[in-house]
Amino acid sequence: MNALVLSAILGVVMMFSGILLKRPAAIRSVAIIGLLLLLASNMLDMSGTRFFSINLGDFLHFDRFAFLFNSVAIFCVLVYVLLTGKAIERVGVKNYADYFALFFFVLCGIFLVTSFQSLLILFLGIEIITIPLYILTGSDKRNLKSNEASLKYFLMGAFSTGLMLMGIALIYGAQGTFAIEKFNLLKIPGSPLMIAGMLLMLFSMAFKVSAAPLHFWTPDVYDGAPTVFTSFMATVVKAAVFIGFIRLFENAFGLLQPTWQLWVALMAAATLFVGNITAVFQQSVKRMLAYSSIAQAGFMMLAIFALNGDAKEGLLLYGAAYSLATIGIFSVLSRMDDYSYESFNGLAARQPLVAATLTIFLLSLAGIPLTAGFLAKFYMIKAVVATGSNLWLVVFALLMAAVSVYYYFRVIQAMYFREAGEHSASFQEPGKGFKWVLVLVAALIIALGLFPSLLLNWLYF
Amino acid sequence: MNITQILFWFLSVIAIFSALMVITSKNPVHSVLWLIVTFFAISGHYIVMNAQFLAIVNIIVYAGAIMVLFLHVFMLIDLRANTEPQQNRWIKIAGGIAGGSLMLVMIAALRNVDIKAQDAGINTNNIGLIKNLGRELFTTYVIPFELSSVLFLSAMVGAVVLGKKD
Repeated sequence: MNALVLSAILGVVMMFSGILLKRPAAIRSVAIIGLLLLLASNMLDMSGTRFFSINLGDFLHFDRFAFLFNSVAIFCVLVYVLLTGKAIERVGVKNYADYFALFFFVLCGIFLVTSFQSLLILFLGIEIITIPLYILTGSDKRNLKSNEASLKYFLMGAFSTGLMLMGIALIYGAQGTFAIEKFNLLKIPGSPLMIAGMLLMLFSMAFKVSAAPLHFWTPDVYDGAPTVFTSFMATVVKAAVFIGFIRLFENAFGLLQPTWQLWVALMAAATLFVGNITAVFQQSVKRMLAYSSIAQAGFMMLAIFALNGDAKEGLLLYGAAYSLATIGIFSVLSRMDDYSYESFNGLAARQPLVAATLTIFLLSLAGIPLTAGFLAKFYMIKAVVATGSNLWLVVFALLMAAVSVYYYFRVIQAMYFREAGEHSASFQEPGKGFKWVLVLVAALIIALGLFPSLLLNWLYF
Repeated sequence: MNITQILFWFLSVIAIFSALMVITSKNPVHSVLWLIVTFFAISGHYIVMNAQFLAIVNIIVYAGAIMVLFLHVFMLIDLRANTEPQQNRWIKIAGGIAGGSLMLVMIAALRNVDIKAQDAGINTNNIGLIKNLGRELFTTYVIPFELSSVLFLSAMVGAVVLGKKD
């Protein structure tokens, strides 16, 4: 609750800091201090120090899992602001503070989605997350592609929200309540109204996390949005919606698992297939990362499929590993003029440190051992194996992970084994702070890959 | 059949008919006008359920503000020219099958449904009166109520970001 209230207040603070402070660097500092405060207050909340005593009723319940993910999300946003905060100036310096205000509002929505106890709050949280995203997507107002992406995202998103509301209405009709812990699923195991509502919720959540067959908006929106904001919405937000997804399907529809498990398995397989195979054929790194985010979503869908202890731990680890690595890659990408593979040619010779950290991020995304990405994928596979059924899914996921190595390694190959030609785009010389943060993130990814308990122990102690 | 039931069926037929007209009219302006009729019929339902406040708010917000906004948008984009793009026949067929399947599922779901709240409280329900609604909003539903302010605030910030001159 601390972080929830504080994030809303900080959003307002950021709005006004735009009037009071003129220098972007000052606004950025306010945002960084705000994020640190938010992180501290969330940690305090986790250890039992509550600033507000509010009767949350049936609406919200903060458990350790939610607290831990919230901390991860705040940390990822902090890393994001440190790495790409300066590049946001290029999108629009006039609205600089407003963008940060929107980040804080999105965080507020994330806290709701990770700890909702009522479908009403889930809906509010999802909306608080997506409405700022529509705006961030279209924030490059002079760019037609950005406008197109924003409109497309808005229309499709509004449609999927409609599906979700329809689902919630049907579930309310079946249960007579919004509170998920009061759902009575034993008495009417297969009430058709409940099943129809659940399927509509499944599809709308799948849309929000861009799982196939509802992924069609993702490449265009991620490609059209300003790179700095793609980085934000492809990482923290996606991971957070997954936490809401698993919370919904565990707490609300857990007992109906036999009904939906096969469908989720098929969706996960389709997502893995579409994401990985299409990513292979992309010519632009930004678009490849958009498809790679679909592919990674396929892996995270395995957690929804398995729905056991390993799955929840794994999802947490996956969210952290995926977000950190992708934020790192996008931060480098946002410093380039051209997003083709050729523009990475010979980067290792010009920027050895950046290239080295970038390699670690890509290896983590590909799931090479010693990185957090490997362990995250390992947890997912382990969770599916533990369910004891649908082992074809495990084989398929491993196969697709092998395919993903191809397109991630294409970037590494371009950086290390190609000469810098005329195609090589200019790369903005990074400052010392940027390099330090990159190294820190890379170190964190390796640390998590060696000792996942660094993160997961927080769940229990 | 008492008078309330007659009213209910009358309003329901109007609501469903006008809602169908919204999606079948070729002319978007007609669609909007039919939508207004739909909103009035639904407001009538609210009054039948003794929820006067909701009925008035529904008319003011939807039939008033939002519909005027729709009409303004239609004025801005020129719709006289027949600009509606010709859709691929296969897409139409696929859409028809998908929508039809959804309808079948919904009919199957609603066929023998176990509705929890049998009694909508036609004449006894006072929940839609402004006093009770206010009390509910600020006691039971105070958390979602306050949280929705964040939603509106972010939408407002967004409108400013998108609308402001560079």
